[in-house]
Amino acid sequence: MNAPRSIGSARAGLGEWYIQRITSIYLAGFTIYLVLRLWLDPLPDYVAWRSWFAQGPVRLAWGLFIASLLVHAWIGLRSVFMDYLRPAALRFVASLLVGFGLLALGLWAAQILFASNT
Amino acid sequence: MEKNKTRPVFLNLLQIRLPIGGVVSILHRATGVLLVLTLPWLLYGLQQSLSGPAEYAAIMARLTTLPARVLMLVLLWMFAQHFFSGIRHLLLDLDLGMEKHAARRLAWLTLAASALVLVLAGIAL
Repeated sequence: MNAPRSIGSARAGLGEWYIQRITSIYLAGFTIYLVLRLWLDPLPDYVAWRSWFAQGPVRLAWGLFIASLLVHAWIGLRSVFMDYLRPAALRFVASLLVGFGLLALGLWAAQILFASNT
Repeated sequence: MEKNKTRPVFLNLLQIRLPIGGVVSILHRATGVLLVLTLPWLLYGLQQSLSGPAEYAAIMARLTTLPARVLMLVLLWMFAQHFFSGIRHLLLDLDLGMEKHAARRLAWLTLAASALVLVLAGIAL
């Protein structure tokens, strides 16, 4: 057998690689912001915590954080599955479950953020 | 491409000694997978903390118990290790720290940084 295997879509891998880096930069930046924010100006009780979340920009920043986190988790878990899970059927089922699981977490997070706007 | 069926394969995981860069790389993966598994609980905690004063107080009370503190420290260490080894990956992408000794120092540095975060958090908690 000398026929080459399909090399698939040449762009797909690079795209994932890139998205993993872009999301990581937002995740790291937001983490640093969060640590500094809570350290320099702590939110000591429910009222302070809740009114911080009631601000639009704060919820937007959290929303971007959670979205980046879920995308980052998806690409990361997919590459772990592709390296260690055999046969392909097992990989498919694991990706399916993780994909829907992360999507569900995203919808749940959106619900939490929309509900805390007052 | 014909596979060489007689090529030597050495995969005894107990005898393979990974260089420190390999250890940190595996740690990045392991902490990443474990951190994803904690997401449902973190999201539940966020939801409860924002749903009302009583729920907020209940979550806070649960977080001050000893098992919760230990779990939080483990979680924080995993996050810090993933954070620093992630920065290591970004630096390697930029061709920084590629030389053998610099690469080993960088890998050790991620372990030292996450250990420092663990100590500081241990004092604060």
